[in-house]
Amino acid sequence: MAPVTYLEAIREGIWEEMERDPAVFCIGEDIGVYGGAFKVTEGFVHHFGSERVIDTPIAEAAIVGAAFGASLTGMRPVAEFQFMDFISCAHNQIINMVAKANYRWDAPAPLVLRGPSGGGVSGGPFHSQNPETYYAHTPGLKVICPATARDAKGLIKAAIRDNNPCLFFEHKFLYRRIKEELPAEDYTVEIGKARTHREGRDLSVITYAAMVYVAQEAADILAKEGIELDIVDLRTVAPLDKEAIAKTVKKTNRVIILHEDTKTGGLAGEIAAVINELAFDDLDAPIVRIASLDIPVPFSPPLEKFFLPKVEDVVREARRLRAY
Amino acid sequence: MKKSESKSQAKASIKTARRSSQSSASAANGSRRNGASSEKYSVRKNPYGILDYRLEVLDCRTVEEWTDGQFRYTVEGDLSAEPPPLRESRYLNKQQSIEIYRYMLLNRKMEQTLENLFKQQKVVGGVYLGLGQEGCSCASAYALRKGDWIGPLIRNQGALLVRGFKPRDVMMQYMAKSGAPTGGRDAGSHFGDKLQRHIAAPISMLGDLIPVLAGVALGARLQGKNIACLTWVGDGGQSTGPTYEGFNFAAVQKLGVILIVENNLWAYSTPVDRQAACKDLANRSIGYGVPGFIVDGTDPNQVYDVTYDAAQRAYAGEGATLIEAKMMRMRGHAMHDAAAYVPQPYFEYWKKRDPITRMEKYLLDKRWLSAKENSDLIASTQNEIDEDREFADASPYPEGSTAGERVICDNSVEIPLLYGKPKVKKAEKKKVGAASDVAHFR
Repeated sequence: MAPVTYLEAIREGIWEEMERDPAVFCIGEDIGVYGGAFKVTEGFVHHFGSERVIDTPIAEAAIVGAAFGASLTGMRPVAEFQFMDFISCAHNQIINMVAKANYRWDAPAPLVLRGPSGGGVSGGPFHSQNPETYYAHTPGLKVICPATARDAKGLIKAAIRDNNPCLFFEHKFLYRRIKEELPAEDYTVEIGKARTHREGRDLSVITYAAMVYVAQEAADILAKEGIELDIVDLRTVAPLDKEAIAKTVKKTNRVIILHEDTKTGGLAGEIAAVINELAFDDLDAPIVRIASLDIPVPFSPPLEKFFLPKVEDVVREARRLRAY
Repeated sequence: MKKSESKSQAKASIKTARRSSQSSASAANGSRRNGASSEKYSVRKNPYGILDYRLEVLDCRTVEEWTDGQFRYTVEGDLSAEPPPLRESRYLNKQQSIEIYRYMLLNRKMEQTLENLFKQQKVVGGVYLGLGQEGCSCASAYALRKGDWIGPLIRNQGALLVRGFKPRDVMMQYMAKSGAPTGGRDAGSHFGDKLQRHIAAPISMLGDLIPVLAGVALGARLQGKNIACLTWVGDGGQSTGPTYEGFNFAAVQKLGVILIVENNLWAYSTPVDRQAACKDLANRSIGYGVPGFIVDGTDPNQVYDVTYDAAQRAYAGEGATLIEAKMMRMRGHAMHDAAAYVPQPYFEYWKKRDPITRMEKYLLDKRWLSAKENSDLIASTQNEIDEDREFADASPYPEGSTAGERVICDNSVEIPLLYGKPKVKKAEKKKVGAASDVAHFR
């Protein structure tokens, strides 16, 4: 089997689910004849028809509302945001209509809201954000941020089959930059379970999405110095795999939490609190957070580079923690 | 307005009228002509060509006034007219009309009881009344079939009764009891029923049910069935973005959404004149490219007929309809609000147009109901309310420790398709091809 990119893995996942289950359909802006701004659904409309690959007006609240309404009849919509930055236009539908439906009136909402998030591509303030934490904060939602092609396919399939609203944050920097061979058979990846990206005994890096690769580069550098990083890829930020978080801390006793979202109120604070609750006695050093600066995502390449967490940040903090 | 739009609008109206007369002649759909002559159905048009079924047109507006350092609203216009009788329905028979009247009575009495329960401090939170709007809620919901959906707002509690909820369900909701449809998880009219009664639960943010009802219609259509999805929005609620997004989506997709804009003149304390610059909110149908109609919201016959027509269009796959129902909210926004900002002449004008009084007179004048039958009906609804009130009052509160249940739906739960197996395009199964190397950002 030829290696498959992260983007193609998501394509395969949605396509196969549409082949498997007639209740699955796609809805979003420019996903039909154009195939989506990043071509995730390219060719879908020719195979599945415009009834199941629905181009909508530019109306995110309507897309989410309609996806939810269709899910009430038993359909399993996969709605695309052209960029995840635009999810804010549908915020009310997501957090008030959709997330609370099962709780309030026993109406499960089996829908997937997916799209590209993340920076590193000079997309500027409105095409680069990582808005996952707003939704991780809302009870009733599952929030998924895959880092590998294998996970991207397995998790999109799991999200489509899940009975709950799943927000699926694809990282646009990874779309065409990573590829791997995928299992030939039908598979899913369990939502809410973290994965060890790299085993190491000295220091944990708890991270997700594109930052997994920043941690990996740092690990390569640090390995030459005899510092071994244990990289935990969360895969899902809601629900958090607290067990996996506690386990790695108990193993290494030192921890860096790394994410691309901005620092204040970001997920690292929550993960630090989880460590405090579950593994405080196992810590030999303070918890370190590495995240983007608390500023809007800037456009110009040198500005954005300055904004994003860097390999050097991880290397520097790892050395400091090791010596602590 | 583009020429083609106005043409298609006129065409849709004509088609509706034609189909309506056909379907009213058919016994199969459960309706029949009630013997009124066709002249009675003559309908005026507003300056934009929107069909206006009202038998009287109130020409007035709310204006601002400062007197002795006080800001207040007053009315400009003549509000002295006596109300006309109800318009004859093209479809409703005696039994159906009495049934609608009974739901209206039940709606009114239930809300009176809620008010009493509130005063006795047995209600948790506020109480929102639909006083003066019962005819619109009940008659419109009554125009639908079993498989159709509704998405009611706080002043559509009558619609919940029409769709099969009991007054005790509503009362238990307000009293935050464990037996309430949400088991105390949400308040008042914030509940629904997906599987049996097909009611989408509202949220407090207005307009957001409209895209949801569009999605329900879309889901049903993907399963091969055109259904009608009725939802309501106020003159205030129609100002929101989701109203436009949702209804435009329904219009573009030709989904059978029936949007009744209940123009009750007041959005909390803000007059409709400050919500919209257009005189008739139904004018907005032109912009959406869907048929629009104006009815008297205190005349259940008008409301029923126009909603019924809209539902037939929905079943035929002809898309959405916008209906503006004009009436007035006869109380404050909620119990705490004395509505002191509403000029008195409005209350006097609309009190004469109380939908229940008008419907009662209509049924008595028509001899579809004798005085005795009427008083029996009133007594029987009161009995039902009293029984339900006792039941609700005696019901327990939920256990606090159950608050955490049901946030997430277990994946072992089977989520059924409500209208059957979705229709899919017949194509050979194949693997997805490679994506082209074109991307918005790299």
